[in-house]
Amino acid sequence: MKVKILLFWWHAVAAWTWDAQDETCGICRMAFDGCCPDCKLPGDDCPLIWGACNHAFHLHCILKWVNSQTSQAHCPMCRREWQFKG
Amino acid sequence: MADSISSTCNLGFLDTLSETSIHEIVESYSAFCAATETLLNGAGDLSVGPQLVSHVHRLCSHGLESLVRDHFLGALERTFEKDGASKFWRHFEAHDDVSIGEQVFYNALEEISLEKQYQEKCLLMLVHALQTYGGRRSRDSDDVSPELFAKYQLSVSSILMATLPRKFPDILNWYFKGRLEELSTIMAGDEPRGDEDEDDRDDMELDEKCRVSYRSGQMEIDECNPQGRFFDNNKLVNNIGRVVHDLRSLGFTSMTEDAYASAIFLFLKDKVHDLAGDDYRISVLESIKRWIQAVPLQFLHALLAYLGDSVSYESASSGLKSPLAKCPASFYPGIDTPSEGLVRWQLRLEYFAYETLQDLRIAKLFEIIVDYPDSSPAIEDLKQCLEYTGQHSKLVESFISALQYRLLTAGASTNDILHQYVSTIKALRTIDPAGVFLEAVGEPIRDYLRGRKDTIKCIVTMLTDGTGANSNVSGNTGDSLLEELNRDEESQENIAPEDDFHTDDKQAWINASRWEPDPVEADPLKGSRNRRKVDILGMIVGIIGSQDQLVNEYRVMLAEKLLNKSDYDIDSEIRTLELLKIHFGENSMQKCEIMLNDLIGSKRTNTNIKATIAQPSHTDAGGELGDNRVSMDILDATIISSNFWPPIQEESLNVPGPVDQLLSDYAKRFNEIKTPRKLLWKKNLGTVKLELQFEDREMQFMVAPLHAAIVMQFQDQKSWTSKDLAAAVGVPIDILNRRINFWISKGILAESLGEDTDDHVFTLMEGMIDTGKNTANDGNCEDLIVGDEEGESSVASVEDQLRKEMTVYEKFILGMLTNFGSMALDRIHNTLKMFCIADPTYDKTLQQLQSFLSGLVSEEKLELRDGMYFLKK
Repeated sequence: MKVKILLFWWHAVAAWTWDAQDETCGICRMAFDGCCPDCKLPGDDCPLIWGACNHAFHLHCILKWVNSQTSQAHCPMCRREWQFKG
Repeated sequence: MADSISSTCNLGFLDTLSETSIHEIVESYSAFCAATETLLNGAGDLSVGPQLVSHVHRLCSHGLESLVRDHFLGALERTFEKDGASKFWRHFEAHDDVSIGEQVFYNALEEISLEKQYQEKCLLMLVHALQTYGGRRSRDSDDVSPELFAKYQLSVSSILMATLPRKFPDILNWYFKGRLEELSTIMAGDEPRGDEDEDDRDDMELDEKCRVSYRSGQMEIDECNPQGRFFDNNKLVNNIGRVVHDLRSLGFTSMTEDAYASAIFLFLKDKVHDLAGDDYRISVLESIKRWIQAVPLQFLHALLAYLGDSVSYESASSGLKSPLAKCPASFYPGIDTPSEGLVRWQLRLEYFAYETLQDLRIAKLFEIIVDYPDSSPAIEDLKQCLEYTGQHSKLVESFISALQYRLLTAGASTNDILHQYVSTIKALRTIDPAGVFLEAVGEPIRDYLRGRKDTIKCIVTMLTDGTGANSNVSGNTGDSLLEELNRDEESQENIAPEDDFHTDDKQAWINASRWEPDPVEADPLKGSRNRRKVDILGMIVGIIGSQDQLVNEYRVMLAEKLLNKSDYDIDSEIRTLELLKIHFGENSMQKCEIMLNDLIGSKRTNTNIKATIAQPSHTDAGGELGDNRVSMDILDATIISSNFWPPIQEESLNVPGPVDQLLSDYAKRFNEIKTPRKLLWKKNLGTVKLELQFEDREMQFMVAPLHAAIVMQFQDQKSWTSKDLAAAVGVPIDILNRRINFWISKGILAESLGEDTDDHVFTLMEGMIDTGKNTANDGNCEDLIVGDEEGESSVASVEDQLRKEMTVYEKFILGMLTNFGSMALDRIHNTLKMFCIADPTYDKTLQQLQSFLSGLVSEEKLELRDGMYFLKK
């Protein structure tokens, strides 16, 4: 007696996460997998951005920071000149 | 004797009396006595009349008027006592029972009335004699007759009262009851005809009928009744009227009134009980009122009319004109307004009816509320009754005790209690929009529910239930709170524009003039009615205490529901959430919204990934697992933002190789599309639909991934030991043993003991053996058997979450107890509150702390003695 199994569907569940080394954003101290204080929805609506120094922040957070600097902005974590990682 | 009487008046007068006049006096006095005797015992023979008159005149001429009167009255009294009263009572003595024949009653009354009439005639003769004498002497003696008659009346009634048998009031009662019943039967017989008439009558006809009916036929019920019945009634009522009249003339006025009043009230009470019964789906108040109009009031009306109406009610002050006084007289005002007495009777009767019905309904309020939406007519009735009688506190008391006795017991399920609570709120909202009594009634229920563990769960279920059920089951959504949510939304929309007008002076004036004081029973501590709003959701949330707990429980339930969905259809959940957002505020529902958003996003991403993924195995169609390939078509994924979901139960699981391959392909594609995001599979979650194909039959199942993984292992190997199977599937043995029961219960696998006692052996069943068990499935491969979850939930329950959160404080608590030795519960609570202000802030309730501590006690970390916690040595 043998059984053959036919799968009709397999509905799986997954969680997404940002592929970053750190857990929380260095600026707003919120989780990367959450969102910045100004946003309501995580994920595509509140993306992460990496600097040339490999530090990641919420896009909205770092933009606010960069725009608030009068001269050249620096990475809030390592004080290197801030460059978006291309 | 004459001398002695005269001497008391005027002794000097005696001296003036001559021998002859004394002789004359004595002579005429004895003649007068004899004449009186003959007259009274003469049985209708009035021939001695003229003789009497002359004697009286003679005696009067000697100034002996008072002697004449006293003697005559005394003789009347003696005769009445001897002949009238004792004969009268003898009629009733023959019967031990109160129910003597109607005829006997009539005869007795008639006889004694005749006797009395005759005596009155005699008295009249005396009065006449006195008057003629007085007239001759031109002295004003008009006042003699009323005085004499009053004296006579008094002596008659005092004789009757003095000899009254004890059962006489009962006899009267019985008599009136019988007549009322008769009248009621006559009325009931004609009821339908009356209604028909009502439809096609016009004002002219009405006028006419009114005129020919009673001389004061103001009752509406009369107006539309056929004449035939009216005469029937008339005869009956005339009989009764005569009886009452006779009884009154015998001095039984108040006793008679008592008797027919109590008969009417008893009859009314029976009628109310009869009409109201146990059926709460119809309103009975109107028919009771109609009946009052038709039977007792008509009876009274006729009676009062017969007796001339003014006898006992002359003194009724017009200040008592009631709102209930009917004004049918608008056709011809001034002529036919109901008499004061009748209006008072109507008020009394209606109040009594209201009170009776109210008592009846209050006693059954619990049952009425149980079938609330159907029983709303009964509630309406009760409302009207209470408005009239104002005995709300009676309702509160009796209902609370019914609740304590019948609902708030260990035997009642939380769901039932909640449903009853909601029905109570709805029903009492009708009766008392201010919510004062609701407050009192709801309190015990709320207190009780707070003590139940599954209250929150039940409430959340009630909130979300009916979301899946659409119009087809709308019939039983009567107690679903979702409907309340909907209503709330509407009312909020309605209120919004109104708020702007509140500043308007005019509106303020309208509001002010609409103000009504709180009922007396209102608890002044609870604030005025303006702040009190009967809001079902608010009251339900009030049970729990805080809305956060409710929202949290909802989130867990929602997660559970979403994770077990096999499609992305969440319309009903979105609707519920929108409604909840209106009520609880957007912020508190934020996480739930993200959860729903994840589902929407997943659907999009899923389509996107499946459309763009490179499919090397496209050539081989279907999900044949024989080849190590499965089509990507069968895989769907729900991708969640785990930060916003309740903590999820993680279990390791080795999914079958081909599926695992699919999963990693899928994740890779996701990573390509959504860089730099990646997927972490929760392999134990989700649903799988599969078909087992045996040689002789096919069976379909919808199961959890773990079940699928287990059964798929049996494709290549028919028999597994539990140890090996656990290793292959990648779960601990105890979990495997528990979950594999699903397949055993379905008759797919069989369990047997292996060589090792700990090790069980699972074997694939041969097809024929279990046919008995699954006959229904044979040849019906479309049967879809949904794998039961056996209480396994994919989301950590609220209690689990709490335990997790509390572990942070375990160190604090242990440290505290090391320092202080022993501490009471609230001291620990207060200390934690004081010192744990920084991240994470201690925000737990005393109950939560207690349950956590008892967990520690059972883990033998702590000890609890006399309410103090110690470190376990």
